[in-house]
Amino acid sequence: MKKWYNVVAISMVAVIVLGIFAIACAQKPAEPQATGPIIINIGEPVALSGSAAPWGQIPTPFREAWFEVFNREGFKIGDQTYNIKLIQVDDQNTPEGGAAAAKQLIFGDNCKFLAGHWTWNFSAIASVTNPAKVIFVTRSGSPDALPASWGGAYDSETMPYVVFGTPSQEEFTYDCFALVDGFPNYNKLGLLDSSVGKGGPGWIKVQEELDKAGVKWHDEWFTPGTTDFAPIITRFAEEGCDVVFVAGWIGEYMMFLKQRWEMGYKDMTVACSGPFVSLDMYKAVCGDDAFEGAVGAYYAPWEFKKTEVNPKYIAQCQEALAMAAEKTGKPYEYTGEIAWLPSHVLILVQAMQKAGTVDDTDAIMKAIRGGTFDTTVGKWTMSGEKTYGSPVVFGTPAPLCIIQGGQEVYLSEHPMEPLP
Amino acid sequence: MPPAGIWVDGLVQSCIYMTMAFGMVLVFSILGILNWAHGQFYMLGAFVVYYAITAAGIPFPVSLLVSGIVVGGLGMLVEKFVIERLNAPGYGMLYVTVATLALIFFFEGAAGMAFGLMPKGMATVLPGVLTLSSFSVSYQKIAVIIFTIVIMITMYVVLNRTKVGLAIRAAAQEPVAASLYGISVGRVSLIVMGIGCALAAMAGGIMGPVHSVDPFMGRIPMIMSLLAIIIGGLGSLTGAIVGGIILGLLNSVIAYKISYFSEVALFVLVILILLIRPQGLFGAPQK
Repeated sequence: MKKWYNVVAISMVAVIVLGIFAIACAQKPAEPQATGPIIINIGEPVALSGSAAPWGQIPTPFREAWFEVFNREGFKIGDQTYNIKLIQVDDQNTPEGGAAAAKQLIFGDNCKFLAGHWTWNFSAIASVTNPAKVIFVTRSGSPDALPASWGGAYDSETMPYVVFGTPSQEEFTYDCFALVDGFPNYNKLGLLDSSVGKGGPGWIKVQEELDKAGVKWHDEWFTPGTTDFAPIITRFAEEGCDVVFVAGWIGEYMMFLKQRWEMGYKDMTVACSGPFVSLDMYKAVCGDDAFEGAVGAYYAPWEFKKTEVNPKYIAQCQEALAMAAEKTGKPYEYTGEIAWLPSHVLILVQAMQKAGTVDDTDAIMKAIRGGTFDTTVGKWTMSGEKTYGSPVVFGTPAPLCIIQGGQEVYLSEHPMEPLP
Repeated sequence: MPPAGIWVDGLVQSCIYMTMAFGMVLVFSILGILNWAHGQFYMLGAFVVYYAITAAGIPFPVSLLVSGIVVGGLGMLVEKFVIERLNAPGYGMLYVTVATLALIFFFEGAAGMAFGLMPKGMATVLPGVLTLSSFSVSYQKIAVIIFTIVIMITMYVVLNRTKVGLAIRAAAQEPVAASLYGISVGRVSLIVMGIGCALAAMAGGIMGPVHSVDPFMGRIPMIMSLLAIIIGGLGSLTGAIVGGIILGLLNSVIAYKISYFSEVALFVLVILILLIRPQGLFGAPQK
């Protein structure tokens, strides 16, 4: 009896397994011809959990609104109209999370392109995208997203599908120049970053550029997680730094801003390399008085004085910002995303149009290298053939704002020059 | 010589480390465990104060008490339903250690889901700055110093002038003898866990306006208070206080002198203390 029971059970399992196998192997029926726009999936590995999550979560309302506005018209290649679907996967701002997110987006969600990436896991994601021939639009400047000749991990020959759509490395230098433009009577520029990047090739390049331009500077470093900046503020003050530029760490920037005011260094201007995430948050943490006079990046293209931006893109961004404000029920001030995903997507779209294909990534990359693209932050030509080994580095206007009366007011701008 | 502002800053740090360390040592002396999630009770306390002020409009000092009661109660639940069960025969220290380590991620994740990951501020609580001759100090930091003095005096009175304090000291010194005299060591453990977590919560609450409130804010204070305990001596309440003072002042002064190398210097100091005097400055030698 027991023997028959086992035979029946094994047979049933075998039938189920074979059935599943047969279904999986069966040829899919031909899909009906699309009559509307064809959807192209673009993936974004982004920090949606962990301590970097605010940077990933805050732009979401704007991103969604911008794609809604963009997809009304979509883009055309020949007679065919295309729309873009954004798929985000949490990369946790870790290498493991980045690799897993990239695999999910490419092999699970069938994304042809990854864009909008800014977290600190460049190598992990690039190691997935390049073998898969998926174009990866990211930023330069994180310790590994630098040319191999500088000590970074980027190699144009082994990573032919990488595009530095946001030149963060160069932007830091040009932000410093914009800061000096905004405060021409400065005494000495203080530079503050996490000790993680101390002595790294990125910083050395920034300092070389500042020296070359005759900018007087002094640097200090903090260990990640620092909340008490009194010793560092005192050291800056003793060095005569009256303008301090803090690399884009939200919590640390707010603490520095607040504590320098409490310590009596009210005339010390404190700038942040990233845009202000939410004015209310800075006011709540630092207080209105300490926040007044703070400086941050400012990607409001309608305010740019030196960089011309296509009025169509300005209108799209303004509409998306208004929609984000309506959706969140409060003023939506974060302009930072304007320089990220929308700009990256416009680079990709225009490259596809130039190449006349949405599938041939080699042809699209050929159009990207050295190409000129009109985006939400202006028209720039990909450069960096000598520096990066391939002309795949986009430009930036490096715009800054200053807080006056609790609001962002345009301060200065120092557009990036093409890289050699 | 570092300027006065550096010493004041160090004193404020000392206050928080000693309050945190005091709670941890209190729990250790009775339960025999290190509560690795102590920093997360600090974080939860800050959130309670934040919402008590912003959502319920409760005055700041009362909010601190509320945070102590709420988070202290939570700590007692953790003791009753997690620590007590895992500290039983058949399990052991490793199980409790793993459980409290797991609580770090549980509380941080839960706080992230419940309250969001964006830093929250309480700059409107005790705003303003007291300007003295050569330096300025915020009223928020002055409040931290006053709070710590009040807490330390209160704890001294509770431990030395009340029956509960007597029971705690008896259970800490000779638990078997204490139970023979009718003291319920289980109940004392529960009370001590509640007090320890309440101290952490109020420390988080008083620091909320000084820094910002977010789910990860408890990590560094937890590590620093652990260092304070090691310097002062594991199991010694006096050691926790002295260790906290030394650590806070050293951290500030060393950071002023050698910048970001200060943490390396602090850890080297801790290793040296462990090598020269493993029981810490005030700890009793291992029998």
